Parts: sequence; structure tokens; C-alpha cells
Amino acid sequence: MIPQDYKYLKSHEWAKIDGDVATVGITDFAVGQLGDIVFLELPKVGAKVNKDSAMCVIESVKAAVDINAPVSGEVMEVNTPLTQDFETLGKDPYGQGWMVKIKIRDAKELSSLLGAAEYKKVTEEEPKH
Amino acid sequence: MGELNRTLFYDRHVALGAKMVEFGGWEMPVQYAGGIIQEHTATRKHAGLFDVSHMGRFILGGAGATAFLQHVLTNNAAALEPGQAQYTIIPDEQGGAIDDAYLYRFIEDEYLLVVNASNRRKDWDHFQQQIKNFRDVQLTDRTRESMMLSLQGPDSKKLLAPLIQSGSLGQPRRNALSVVTIAGAKVLLARTGYTGEPLCFELFIEAADALKIFDLLIAAGAVPVGLGARDTLRLEAGLPLYGHELGTDPDGKEIPIFACPLAKFAVSFSPIKDEFIGKVPLKKQHEAFRRFMLGDYSHIADLPRVVMPLALVGKSVARASAKVFAGDKHVGYVTSGTMVPYWQSRGQGLGQQFTDATALRAICLALLNSDTLPGKPLVVEVRGNRVEAQVVQYHLRSEAPPYAHPVLLEQQRQAVLVGATPGVQQVHDLLAGAIENTIWRQQECMNLIPSEMTISPMARLLSIMDPSFRYAEHKAVKAFGDAEVFYYQGTDFICRVEQLLTEQLRLYFGCADVETRAISGQMANTVVFSAIVDYLNRGNRKAEPRRIAGVMNNDIFKGGHLSAQPMGALKDFLARDSRTEAPAAVNFPVLPENPYKIDVVACKKLIDQHKPELIIFGRSAVLHTEPVAEIRRFVEQIGLRTFIMYDMAHVLGLVGPHFQEPFREGADVVTGSTHKTFFGTQRGVVAGNCSNNDRLREFWEAIQRRTFPGAVSNHHLGTLLGLLMAAYEMNHFKDAYQKAVIANAKAFARAMRDAGLNVAGDSSVDFTQTHQVIVEVGYAAGPEIAARLERNNIIVNYQAGPHEEGFSAAGAIRMGVAEMTRFGMKQANFQTLAGLMAETILKNKKTGDEVKAFRQKFQQLQFCFAGKEFEDEISNLHSLI
Repeated sequence: MIPQDYKYLKSHEWAKIDGDVATVGITDFAVGQLGDIVFLELPKVGAKVNKDSAMCVIESVKAAVDINAPVSGEVMEVNTPLTQDFETLGKDPYGQGWMVKIKIRDAKELSSLLGAAEYKKVTEEEPKH
Repeated sequence: MGELNRTLFYDRHVALGAKMVEFGGWEMPVQYAGGIIQEHTATRKHAGLFDVSHMGRFILGGAGATAFLQHVLTNNAAALEPGQAQYTIIPDEQGGAIDDAYLYRFIEDEYLLVVNASNRRKDWDHFQQQIKNFRDVQLTDRTRESMMLSLQGPDSKKLLAPLIQSGSLGQPRRNALSVVTIAGAKVLLARTGYTGEPLCFELFIEAADALKIFDLLIAAGAVPVGLGARDTLRLEAGLPLYGHELGTDPDGKEIPIFACPLAKFAVSFSPIKDEFIGKVPLKKQHEAFRRFMLGDYSHIADLPRVVMPLALVGKSVARASAKVFAGDKHVGYVTSGTMVPYWQSRGQGLGQQFTDATALRAICLALLNSDTLPGKPLVVEVRGNRVEAQVVQYHLRSEAPPYAHPVLLEQQRQAVLVGATPGVQQVHDLLAGAIENTIWRQQECMNLIPSEMTISPMARLLSIMDPSFRYAEHKAVKAFGDAEVFYYQGTDFICRVEQLLTEQLRLYFGCADVETRAISGQMANTVVFSAIVDYLNRGNRKAEPRRIAGVMNNDIFKGGHLSAQPMGALKDFLARDSRTEAPAAVNFPVLPENPYKIDVVACKKLIDQHKPELIIFGRSAVLHTEPVAEIRRFVEQIGLRTFIMYDMAHVLGLVGPHFQEPFREGADVVTGSTHKTFFGTQRGVVAGNCSNNDRLREFWEAIQRRTFPGAVSNHHLGTLLGLLMAAYEMNHFKDAYQKAVIANAKAFARAMRDAGLNVAGDSSVDFTQTHQVIVEVGYAAGPEIAARLERNNIIVNYQAGPHEEGFSAAGAIRMGVAEMTRFGMKQANFQTLAGLMAETILKNKKTGDEVKAFRQKFQQLQFCFAGKEFEDEISNLHSLI
């Protein structure tokens, strides 16, 4: 289920690296944990984001959860239709469910991201609730 | 915290795919496989089943239990009759809440108090401290021994009813209790819940029986709902949750109890409650709250902030402890907030229906400065962003069962429509509309509304002649030997008309006194109530007059009309009962097999017990005579001074030997509207046998005073003139008319029954002794069936029966034969009509054209003066218009 060629954060964001652009979303596991998603607030195009810091927020009925940037850089594009259609997040979290494209500022940051196998371990250790 | 508690349903929750979480020391389902949104929407459209067994259940017994509860709770425990429940709060000395709770009295000598799971220990310890000061109170914690399930939503009733082996669902009112047997197990059943659903039940079940009943309810189709949706449902309903709207606020300050809107029902200062915990600060809060309602914020320091529903205008989600601002001023906090789902609907008014589509809206409850008014633009700070918000009156309304209806921000912001300057086209449209409507109702429809009557052509013409533009105020002046003195000139004719009308109605009722100036039946009742208050206070002219101490009337759920209810015309004239703090109205008991008939034996006991000052017979769903003579004999026998009033609105045209003669049976006063079974223009009348009775002579004078100048100045003289013609017609034709109406109603009822419909009433008298026939069409189906019949040119009204929660849940249609009898229909014709109606009701057959063709045979109004000898005068009157 977890794409092997993507990079991950412990906080359940994924990044697909394509040259100096990272396409970012949240993992299938995160979508499942959130439950019913009711609100998604994306960053503005042009916003500067920092690795491991909140760049936008996703909310379920119960709680608001920050989505962290896997890489530092500038927001190039956001997936606006997604804010009106949370079903896509459940159906295709790694494709149509992408959220933000970031112009990577420092490629060196990529080395600290998790690989698919490492991320899988994270999800197995996390208590499900 | 040690090992988590589990309810008996734990394995069921897990099997149903629940995510279990810790809550108040218990391991509880936060949601099941379907998720919070699906559970919320399923509850609003179908039925949700909640395991609420984690809530604390304390049993209180012993002779001192009531006194103890009066001391430790804010509400008036002594007001609870067996079979009733109430919301209440456990106060502290500062006027804050230790917890909120629900108090149930299933049986005479025991109370059940349900408290929040997370406060159970704290509440228990508090009670143990307090109980030392009371004698003979047994307090036990039964949280473990019994389980508690909550079944909520529009389908809850139809899902539960077939499971009940003995006992009943209880009165169709919130907080009614009953004891039933389900699957051989005794279940305590309460019409309560915390979701805002108008159809709601909570079940208390012994542990050994709990699982089978849970399984039965799930098998019947109840959707399991976890704590997540329980929270969104109560938020949408605007109900407080301890720890959010009660307890401490985000600044760490204790929230005063009156900050919660429910406090006005949950806090009692009844004298019988005496001193109780927190009474002094609560009185201060209440005084501040009372002043707020008058726009006076001088005591705001005693109640600085109150909880209000808040809707977000901007797209965002605000959560508990978000700050709220008015401009730059911090005015409070969100106490609960999220996005909640709601069913989108189509159609208007009673025809409004949920579609299959849902949407989301961001709503909150917020603790805001008490002087913040609904509609004021506010902002909520969400993650540093300022999101536009607005205080609203409510998020959800429960008064149209079986559904709870969401009220959206846009609906509360709707613009008021103002008409455009009219041109010629508007005039044409109006004329055309009136022509079309009159042809339809007068020539093409079967008019079966029992409160309506077409008046004769003569009565119609007379009611629009010159007097309809005039005034004729008058008053009997004692100085002139009670001669009627008119204040304006030009009134000789209408003066004579009123005198003749009074004489005709005296003849009709067989009574001494008639007052004809009330312009509606409801006004006639108001006049009588006001006159009773006036009369009772005639020895006391310098102090505030006291109200009527108690009445006995028909239950509005069992056919009583609002013109004799505390929520209707009685409101300003009836005292509150000092024990229950509710209006002092006791309803006539009814026969178990026929709720449209008074149980005279039980009624006598109640009269002896309550000693009402006024007994009001009469109802709007009227199938049978009222036991006037029996009750008159009984009150004489026990020496009770009480007014016996009969509101004959519906049956005014049936007064006589074929139905009932109220004055012969001993009524003091009869009221009515003149346009239902009577032939008149739309007016009211009061009749009495008072001025020939030494005791009541002054009462009749009070009735005249409370009519004029009490209720009317101008009293619509045109319709007064028309009514005189109607009275001539009635006195002339009544014997044949009344016989025909009653025979037609019985034939109609029998034919309905024979066509396979469920007809209400006593079958041994052919279901009816009046002009009315009531047909049961299925729970909440009344509005749809009535609308369907209208599309087929049959005009009836939907009627809530004795087991239905309100007009929108009406399961019956009510019909009257009076108007169509006047148009010449006979028993066989009503049988034909019953056949057509059954086709439409049972098979949804389109009968509109047949009905219209059938109606063509009945175009000429009967039981009125007509013919050649009047032609010249009629055409003369026409030419004068």
C-alpha cells in the first residue's frame, strides 16, 4: 500500500521528489486515524515553509491536526479541489489526494526523510485508536 | 487511574468495529466502523443506539429522599409526579455546578439520579457529606447492577414499539416515564435523551437482561453510535456538557449555573424547596438573568458571561477555548465547537423532507459577555486567523416531530420581503385569484374541514352591506335601568339587529343571557376567563387580582383546543400550581379504549382531589357528548363551587335533543364560534344562565364588561347582520339539519370502516355522535395524506392523535360533514365519497376528476331561505354593492 519510492515523515506526511519539486500529502494510515475529515486548510501559493513545521491543517470532527512540511521551500501549487472533496483523500491519498507542491530550497534535507520500510515500522509501532 | 471500567456491552462494541477510548474512567466506543458523521446523520434520519451505561446511576429512597434532593439539586424534585423526569444540576455553594444530572421518578417512593461518568465519584462524595444532615435517606450506587441504553431518532419509536410485550411507550411528551417488558425483561423506559431528537428513549435494564435487549435493538435496525457523535449531536442541540459549558471556563473561573440557558428550567426557587445549596448566589444570577431579558445589564457582574449558540460565517472550524472578539474586544471563548453534518432538505414548511445528501457546518457553543446580542458580527480566533462568526438563536429545532430540523445561519439571516408598488397587473392577478379560488372551493371541492361552513347567499350579502363599515359600541348603564347606551349616532338599525340576534340565540340555547360581540370563538373564551378573574376578585379591588386557581380541561393531545389551554387563551388567567410550578390545569381522564371520551368515574375522583375553580368541556376533535349533567350533579353533591363552561365551538350548530342541551344539563356558560356546525358568519358567542341566578348575576355583568370594553371596540357589524340571518335559518331548519348531519356522519364513518380504514371513536354509536369523523392513517402520515387528498379536491385536516408527539407527527385526518350536508349530500352520497377517499388514501389513486364531477351534483345550499319571494330584495341588495 505504501509507495516504495516516496519519502515520509514520522508525523505521517509523504513527499514525492521530482527534481527540485516535492509533492506532499498525508499517508493512508493518517487518513484512517483521522476519521471523518471535515475541513482542510491549505497554505497560500508563495508561502515559505520549513521542514518539520506546520504548513497547513486538517480537521476531523474530533480534532485539528497540523500537516508538517517534509522539506523547506516555497509553496508552488496547492490542490484546491481537495478542500471540497475529502473522499479523494480516502480513495487515493498518494495520487489525487496530494495537497501541496514545494520548490525545494535545500536538497540536503532529503536525506533525513524516512524510506517506505522505515515508515511502515512507525505505523506498526503507533498505537491505533 | 487504575484498571479501566468496561460496560457489559464491551464485546458488542468491539464486534461492531468500535474504536475504544478512555472516557471518565471507562473504556467506551468513540465511534464504530461507519464513523462519527454517519452515526450523527443516522440518528437524525433513522435511529441511533448509545451505550450510556458508564453514566452514574444513584438510587434514592426513604422518607427523607425528597428533602435531600431539594437540598442538593437545583430543580424542584417535589414537582415530579411518579412517571416524570427532569433535568437538574448539582450546585456548589458558589452557584457553580458540581455536575448536571437527570432525575427520574419511575415509582412513588424511589428516585433515580443519572450523573456524568467522570463526576460520579465526586458527586458521590459530595452527597455522602450532605446526607449526614438528613434522616431516613437511602442512597445507593447502582451503576454496576443496571445498564443504560439510549435510543434516539425519528425511527426510535417504530423500532421500539413492536418489541414491547407489556406496558406502553408512555405519554407522547418529553420526560414521560413508563415501565415495560421487552423480551421478558422489565425495562424502565424514559422519553429522554441528550441529542435534541423529539423522539427519544432511554432504557434502564437489569444487567442480566442487557445484552439481549441491545441485540434486539441492533437487529431491529438501530445504528450504534459512539461518544464522538453523542458529542456532535448534543452540541447541535445546544445542550451543555460538563467540562465545557458547566464547570470551569478557559480562564479557570467557575461558570455560573445561569450561564447555561437550560438553567431557567433547571433551577427552582419554589418556596417548598426552602434553603438549598447555592441558593443565595443563584438568586443573584437569576436576578441578573431576569434583567438581561428586559435589556437591563446593570447586574452583569453577577453573571458576566452566558452560553450562546455561535455559527461560523467564514470557512473554518472553531474548537473549545478559541477566543471570541467583537471588533478588538475579547468577549469570551468557544466552549464546544466542531463541524457537524446535517441532512439537506427540499420542499417548504410541513412538506420539507430530508434528501439523501448531507453537508457540513461549523457551529459552536460559546461563553460570551452577557450583553452580546444575536446577530452581532463577531470573530473567532482560529490559529491566528480571524474567522467571521455570529451569535444565532439556535442550531436545531425539535418542535416538529418526528425529525429534529437543522436551522442554518442563512435561514436566520433571511431578508424580510417588502412588496413592490402595485400596478394594474397586480389588481388583475388578485381578482383572478379570488375568482379561481372561490370556484374551486365552492363548486369543485369536497369541503370536509369540521370547523368550516359555507354561509347562505342571503347571510353573505347581508354581511357586506352598510353596517360592515360602521361602529356601534354600547354599554348597559345602570343609571338608566340597564338600558343600552350607544356612543355614536346612526346605529338604530344595527342596535335592533343585535337585540334580535340576542333573542334568537336565547331561543336557540334555551338560556337567559347571550353576548354576541366577541368576534371569534377564541375571543369568547378569553372573555369568559377574563370575566372569571374579574368576578373572583370583585371583593379585592385595590390589590393585584389573583388568577383562576385551577381548571380541568381536555388534554390538547386528546382533542382539546388551544382556546382552553394554558399555552393558548388561558395563559394570562390561570395560576401556576405551587408544587409543580406548572399551570394549574388538570386534564380530564379518558377511557382507555376511547381517548375521545371522558372517564366519568375517574374524573369525579380528580375533581374531588383538585377542586378546580373552572371546568371546561368541549374540544376540537369531538366525537361524543360531554358528561355535563353527571359532573354538574357531582359538584353539587360535594358542594364544590366551580364554573362549568362548555366550549361548543364545533358543535354549536348541534345544540338540541339530537346531540346535547348544555343548559338543561347544568352548564353555567357556553361559548362557541358561529361558523362551524352553526350557519353563521365567522364570529364568537357567549351564552349563560346567570342573570336569573342570584349567585351568578354579577358574573354575567363581568362577561359583558370583559367583552366591551374588555375585548372589542368595533365588533364587525357586517358579520353581525349576517349572523342574524344565520340564526333565523338555524332556528327555522335546525331539526332537519341536525338530524341529517349526525346521520350523515355515522354513515360516513361506517362506510370508511367498511372501506378498510381505521376509524376512531366508539363503534357502538357508529364512531360519532357529532359532525366529525376521525380516521387513523398511520404515525406521522396525516400531513401527507391530507395533502394528497387536497390534490384530489378533498379538503380535510391532519390531526395528531392521543399517542402522537405533535402536529407534524399527526397520524389521523379529521373530517366534518356539516358543510357538505348543507350542500345537500345524503347518507348514500357520503358512502360514495368514503369509497373515493379510501382509494386515494389506501391505494394512492387519483380521484380528483371524479370528486370534482361528483361535487357538481351538490351546488345548491340547503337549510336556508330561498326562492321567488325573495328575488326582488336579493337583486336590490346586489345592486347596492
